Amino acid sequence: MVWPIAAVVLCWLAPGWNWWFPAGPSGTGAAMSPLGERIDDLFYMILIITTVTFVGTQIGLGYVLFTGARRSDQPEDAEGEKAWFSHGSHNLEVVWSIVPAAVLLFIALYQMEVWAEYRVQDAFPKQVIRTGPLAEVTARQFEWRIRYPGVDAEGNPLELKPDPQPTDLYTVNDLRLPSSQPVMIWLRSEDVQHSFFLPELRVKQDAVPGLVIPVWFEAIKSTEYSMLCAELCGWGHYKMKSRLVATPEDEWRVWLQELQVEQNYDGVSDESNDE
Amino acid sequence: MVQCTSIKVSEGWQQTEVLLVRLGQCIIGLAVLLTIAGCGAQKAEFNNREDINVLIPEAQDHVREVLATHFGQPTRMVLWERMPVHYHGASGVFAENAATAGKTLSKLNVTLTEENLPIEEGQELAWISGKYLGQPNPHVVSFDATASQVGIEPGLAEPPGAGDRFAIAPGEVLIHGRILYAEHCQHCHGVSGDGNGPTAKYLNPRPRDYRLGKFKFKSTSSSAKATRDDLSRIIEEGIPGTYMPSFKLLKEEENRAIVEYVRWLAMRGEVEFKLIQALKNDYSNEAVASQVASARESDSTLSASAAREKVVADLNEYLTGDWQEEFNDDTKFQAEQWVQAEEPSALVIPKLARVPDTPESRAHGRELYLSAKAKCATCHGDSGLGDGSQTLSVQKNPATNADYDTPGLFDDWGNPVKPRNLTRGIYRGGRRPLDLYRRIHAGISGTPMPAFGTVLKDEEIWDIVNYVMNIPFEARDRQPGSGAGTSGAGAPEVATTR
Ligand code: HEC
Ligand code: HEC
Ligand SMILES: [Cu+2]
Repeated sequence: MVWPIAAVVLCWLAPGWNWWFPAGPSGTGAAMSPLGERIDDLFYMILIITTVTFVGTQIGLGYVLFTGARRSDQPEDAEGEKAWFSHGSHNLEVVWSIVPAAVLLFIALYQMEVWAEYRVQDAFPKQVIRTGPLAEVTARQFEWRIRYPGVDAEGNPLELKPDPQPTDLYTVNDLRLPSSQPVMIWLRSEDVQHSFFLPELRVKQDAVPGLVIPVWFEAIKSTEYSMLCAELCGWGHYKMKSRLVATPEDEWRVWLQELQVEQNYDGVSDESNDE
Repeated sequence: MVQCTSIKVSEGWQQTEVLLVRLGQCIIGLAVLLTIAGCGAQKAEFNNREDINVLIPEAQDHVREVLATHFGQPTRMVLWERMPVHYHGASGVFAENAATAGKTLSKLNVTLTEENLPIEEGQELAWISGKYLGQPNPHVVSFDATASQVGIEPGLAEPPGAGDRFAIAPGEVLIHGRILYAEHCQHCHGVSGDGNGPTAKYLNPRPRDYRLGKFKFKSTSSSAKATRDDLSRIIEEGIPGTYMPSFKLLKEEENRAIVEYVRWLAMRGEVEFKLIQALKNDYSNEAVASQVASARESDSTLSASAAREKVVADLNEYLTGDWQEEFNDDTKFQAEQWVQAEEPSALVIPKLARVPDTPESRAHGRELYLSAKAKCATCHGDSGLGDGSQTLSVQKNPATNADYDTPGLFDDWGNPVKPRNLTRGIYRGGRRPLDLYRRIHAGISGTPMPAFGTVLKDEEIWDIVNYVMNIPFEARDRQPGSGAGTSGAGAPEVATTR
């Protein structure tokens, strides 16, 4: 009896000790993106279903053991208290095949929309289809190299081309994107398989050599998030810890313009390059 | 935390050494090291250059002793004040402090000469010179920046002499740097900064060996040292196209502490290198054997051991005589070079702004690239692939003037280097036009890539920069499908998931 109670108490207390999702910018471990919230909802729904199932079966098991233990083992008392032999019961087999199948089918259908929005390009938000990718993130042993389109004379970001352009801008381990709007990146790998992981935004996508994979997400808060590699990619895997900095779009544009000035710096024409 | 700090002034060498033994820090360092020790036994001890073994044992001992007295060991560091390293949280001299008859003095007027960490309550204040030297160190209880006044506990009966030196948080920057270095850098760059940590053998190019005091990607003129900012930028951005990672998530203070530690390792390595070079001529095993042989030739009664004893006596005489001054001069010169690199005049700054990136400018750049004046193509190849004729011929080692065993180019560390493949658009020293200008103007120190600052005019360098920056795109246009820029392979189609 001690263990089940300890387990329940522990489960109850664990989130308070931060034994849950990393607290992140929300401080509570809540997802920081709208899609992430829906992914969390799915997670909690499945957690509830499995909890109810688990606790229910444990109670059932406990009941059987308990009532079984109460029976006398004297042969004369056994009369009339014979165990019910259920093996091969057609009805029971049907029940415990159909109920879990229905539950699984329900989960499968219920999550389809979220999965489609996360992964299927046709279901991506219209906005990211319209604006296209804002950066190309290339995983490499052991860092993230990021390519942004340059900015035009008015300071507006250019279109990101699949091939590097002379106007492109680069950073390492420092992905910066506008917050509060869906944004898309292209994900590539230069060597082995890596996995692009934004834990607070609930985004995880493998980077596969030879593929360019579009990934979209939306950071609801302007702040710094962690950006990790979630695929053991070599001895320096742990070094791929980096950051995503989400800022309001106008600040992002200013940052990109500054990056442009910085990246074209020739040591002399300080002012002539400034907007 | 147990701390014992002893400070030692050694008069004979006119230098102050602050010897720090911090038990608490040792334990942390040891824990870090033990974790790392899992992959190949790394001791928290400096090792010596291989070429120390050419010296006779007596000379080797001397080298070891000099290094031990001036640099110590990673966990028992000696902070040699001659070397321009930001060791302490802060340091300075005492200003005039009036004596307070009968009362203890707890607020001291100071003039700070160096402030590397914020001055905070609880930090130690170490006496470096003056009458309190050798006395127990007080702790800082307050700091008033505007009045330049430090409050200490316990107070003093008498004021320290004006001009007496002190350090606040003594050695803390270097200790912090060492701990971070052990965590992030040591497995590649090695405990002694010899570029030979346990993971180094799997890497090409090899991690930098700091012990020549040379760095490749720097902003200063060709013979000058690298600046703190150069090292800091390398740590922050990494070196694209190599295994040197970017450490962007380190805080600025951490980055600066590592830079000091790397500089300190470089300085230690340089002292060791020069010492061995200086003793090698007369006191290598080979030289001593031939001296012994020739002494015995002229005096046939002399036994081998007696002849050798004479040579060792010469060595000892030299080491207690002339050598002291030579060493002082050499190390002062070395320190001066590091100081000079920090001065604005050491920076390579173009006199002329980048010339507009026009087709004419690029064409002119290409002409120069192929010309006998700039001879870029002899190394980098006609189309920039890094396959010029010099990569196929046998080169001379500039240090020994002997031919290398194999054809191709080598750097000062003896590692083979290929001239950069310029069609890939990956620049290790940074991709700003200024970076490329500096690479061409000052060359890449420690490598065969020469400095062109005196041969080429500013306009010409910019024309070449414009051309070089366009090579990746020119190459791509010529061969459709071959990628350029960050992507090694050609850019594949965008995947569509359905
Ligand atoms: C994965 C191995 C690895 C790690 C870890 C690593 N480096 Fe390096 N580092 C290299 C390699 C390889 C090079 C040489 C690149 C070249 O020659 O182009 C290098 C070069 C350097 C250089 C020389 C730059 C120049 O201009 O010559 C410095 C300084 C340096 N590293 C400092 C550090 C510091 C400080 C750390 C820890 C914060 C660190 N490295 C961690 C592999 C590593
Ligand atoms: C003697 C051979 C030699 C000559 C001549 C030479 N280079 Fe280099 N160059 C090299 C080598 C070797 C490297 C690679 C150094 C390294 O990283 O260790 C290099 C590297 C470079 C780089 C890469 C810098 C970076 O940040 O990665 C550029 C750009 C470059 N050279 C341009 C030129 C130009 C332009 C010229 C002519 C003005 C030239 N080189 C002449 C040997 C040469
Ligand atoms: Cu990875």
